[in-house]
Amino acid sequence: MMGIYIFIFFAYLFGPLIIMSITAFNSAEFPSITPWECFSFRWFNEGKIAYDGQHLAGLLSDWRLHDGIISSLIIGAGVVTLSVPIGMAAAIVLTQVRSQLRDIYYSISIMPVLFPGVIIGISTVVLWDRIAGLGGEGFIADIGRNGIFLTILAQTCFISTYCFLIFVARLQRFDQTQEEAALDLGASQTQVFFKILVPYLSPAIASAAVIAFLFSFENYNTTVFSILSDQTLTTVIASKVRLGISPALSALALTIIALTIIAAVTYEVLRRRAEKRYAESQEKFVKEKAADNRINKKYKAGFKIPKGITAILLIVVFATYGATQIVKNDLYGQSCIDAADKEKKSKFLEQLQTLESNELTDEELSGGSLGGNQDYGDIFGDPSLFQDFGGFD
Amino acid sequence: MSADVELSDVSVTFGSFYAAKNVNVKVNGGEFFSFLGPSGCGKTTLLRAISGFQEPSEGKVLIDNKDMSGIGPNKRPTALIFQNLALFPLMSVSENIAFSLEVRGVSKEERKKRADELLELIALEGQGDKKVHQLSGGQKQRVAIARALAVEPKVLLLDEPLSALDLKLRQRMRTELREIQKRVNITFIYITHDQGEALTMSDRIAVMNEGELEQIGKCDEVYNNPLTPFVATFVGENNPLYGKVTGIEGDKAKIETADGQYLATMNESKKLNIGDESIAFVRPESLFIPRDGDNFDNKIDVNIESFEFEGNLKNFYASLKSGAKIKFSVPNAIDTSSITSGSSIVLGFESSKSVILPKASLAID
Ligand SMILES: Nc1ncnc2c1ncn2[C@@H]1O[C@H](COP(=O)(O)OP(=O)(O)OP(=O)(O)O)[C@@H](O)[C@H]1O
Ligand SMILES: [Mg+2]
Repeated sequence: MMGIYIFIFFAYLFGPLIIMSITAFNSAEFPSITPWECFSFRWFNEGKIAYDGQHLAGLLSDWRLHDGIISSLIIGAGVVTLSVPIGMAAAIVLTQVRSQLRDIYYSISIMPVLFPGVIIGISTVVLWDRIAGLGGEGFIADIGRNGIFLTILAQTCFISTYCFLIFVARLQRFDQTQEEAALDLGASQTQVFFKILVPYLSPAIASAAVIAFLFSFENYNTTVFSILSDQTLTTVIASKVRLGISPALSALALTIIALTIIAAVTYEVLRRRAEKRYAESQEKFVKEKAADNRINKKYKAGFKIPKGITAILLIVVFATYGATQIVKNDLYGQSCIDAADKEKKSKFLEQLQTLESNELTDEELSGGSLGGNQDYGDIFGDPSLFQDFGGFD
Repeated sequence: MSADVELSDVSVTFGSFYAAKNVNVKVNGGEFFSFLGPSGCGKTTLLRAISGFQEPSEGKVLIDNKDMSGIGPNKRPTALIFQNLALFPLMSVSENIAFSLEVRGVSKEERKKRADELLELIALEGQGDKKVHQLSGGQKQRVAIARALAVEPKVLLLDEPLSALDLKLRQRMRTELREIQKRVNITFIYITHDQGEALTMSDRIAVMNEGELEQIGKCDEVYNNPLTPFVATFVGENNPLYGKVTGIEGDKAKIETADGQYLATMNESKKLNIGDESIAFVRPESLFIPRDGDNFDNKIDVNIESFEFEGNLKNFYASLKSGAKIKFSVPNAIDTSSITSGSSIVLGFESSKSVILPKASLAID
């Protein structure tokens, strides 16, 4: 029963992503599964020059997307370098302030996450426009109107608050006597910070950095205002969607999903390896310490098949089914694409011809009988009605 | 190398509350000195004042006759062992022990050498690479001590370091602590609310109550000649006998209680006058069941109520005529089969084993 709920939940969660990923391999101009045109990687690399000469860029050939990704990476790095220290400092300050001030300080600190992102974006631009206006020409004026710089500042504004919350959660479990012990053993305040606090906070630093980067990377509503004339990945995608979606976006989505999965799996593998090493050292320690009769000799760390295997099997089954269908109907490779293109081109020409044969005359195009407004001349009744009226004076 | 520690009129206030009040004590170099008192009496506060985490609101802390005001904890020749030990969980045992050397810029080989030496001192040779959480409670304890000793402090301050351990381990650690102190020969200032712990380990103890020092002295001195009813009942057990002074003979005073007259010894510094409200104290082990030929100068009629077996001792709880309760203990080796609940017997005690003090509140009420 539980399994079914989980299945429905995951289908809801990942269904759209899976469908979208599949459309990335369809050579058709619009992301679709049915009708299936041809299996192709074109949306991952060069895209397509359409029969009418329009270039439908693929992932590799879309320079606007590349520029957007680069700006997003730069902004992400900037946001991480600013918000992690800011969040950490704010959280450390929270542990130092007296109890009455604490609540007020905390409320003020988390306020930025409550503001709409749009407002943060706009207000950053407004402020820096004024600042840039003060200095005339020069450095200040340049950075004050630099979209990347402004976006870093605007995003840091609220992302540092998320970092703050992560650090607060970790610091709540910090045993402050450790700091005192270090001081007592002769450490200076700086040494206490770097040798005791920072190592303790390092997991929080890592997660704050990852979260800050992800929030920055996917942010749209603040960025769209603060980026000015530049573009980030999200603003590029948004502007593309306005012109109609292309399978290149599906390809991008699939790439991002794949990268995420690889990162997650790598992390998990490393974590398990570390865990295993730790368990082994523990085991050794237990054996060293425990009396012989307290060791369960029958105990063996066995190999268990993870439950997730069913999900993987399901995906494999569907994938093989899809693949056999594609192969059986010859829906792959260059020849298929050529054929499809040819067919579309001929349809296009056909339509062009019908259009040409129905071409309208110049007179008809200039408006004809519909264009004038004389029919509505008497819409206000008799124009002579107001003749005796002297007008307003 | 050891140092004297002197607290001169030290008071510590939190707002209008005195956590410690007018404390005057001089701990001699190389001494094992204990502060003993109930929970919340200000022991930790005093220790924090000595180690520099808490500036006294009034008075001075002197270490080796040097005024410590304005000198931070990292600049004082003291090392503190915290109530919760405060070992660094992310470091190995050796790194913990050598931390104080690391922050002083001592080279890595030097640190390792010193850590190994100290591991040997605490009988944990070869376990330096373990993480702190892989140690047992007693081992952690010893690591905390080694860590504190690494830079050879002149004074070691210990804040109830044994309170988290089980009884057996606590007893073993007491001896170990004492031995370590003899070996390194530095001043130990030890804090505890456990009077047994204080008595077995210390050269001298100071008994604290409500932020003030009640008595300072050698262990047997404090046990035998308590200065206040609080000390009399906090250090060891004592039966109070309330009454009025009716006569004085030399250093003895006669007290008239609801159950009769007793003779008890006065403290030199707590002289009494006839008519004073006072309390005579007699310890459970000083009350005897008289045998033929015994001649105690005090006799007391009691009615046995209940009995409790403690192993080496048998404890009897009895009531007096007035309803006051009294406890007495008999070594297990003595045959007490004739004493049963409800039986009335006469107990005797020597006036030299009973102290009489001006009336004041006890530790138990
Ligand atoms: N930072 C502080 N602010 C306010 N009051 C405090 C502070 N630290 C301690 N106190 C108070 O001072 C008194 C003494 O505290 P202290 O920690 O010295 O007790 P203690 O004798 O060590 O007790 P325990 O045996 O329970 O550890 C207590 O009543 C405590 O509430
Ligand atoms: Mg304490």
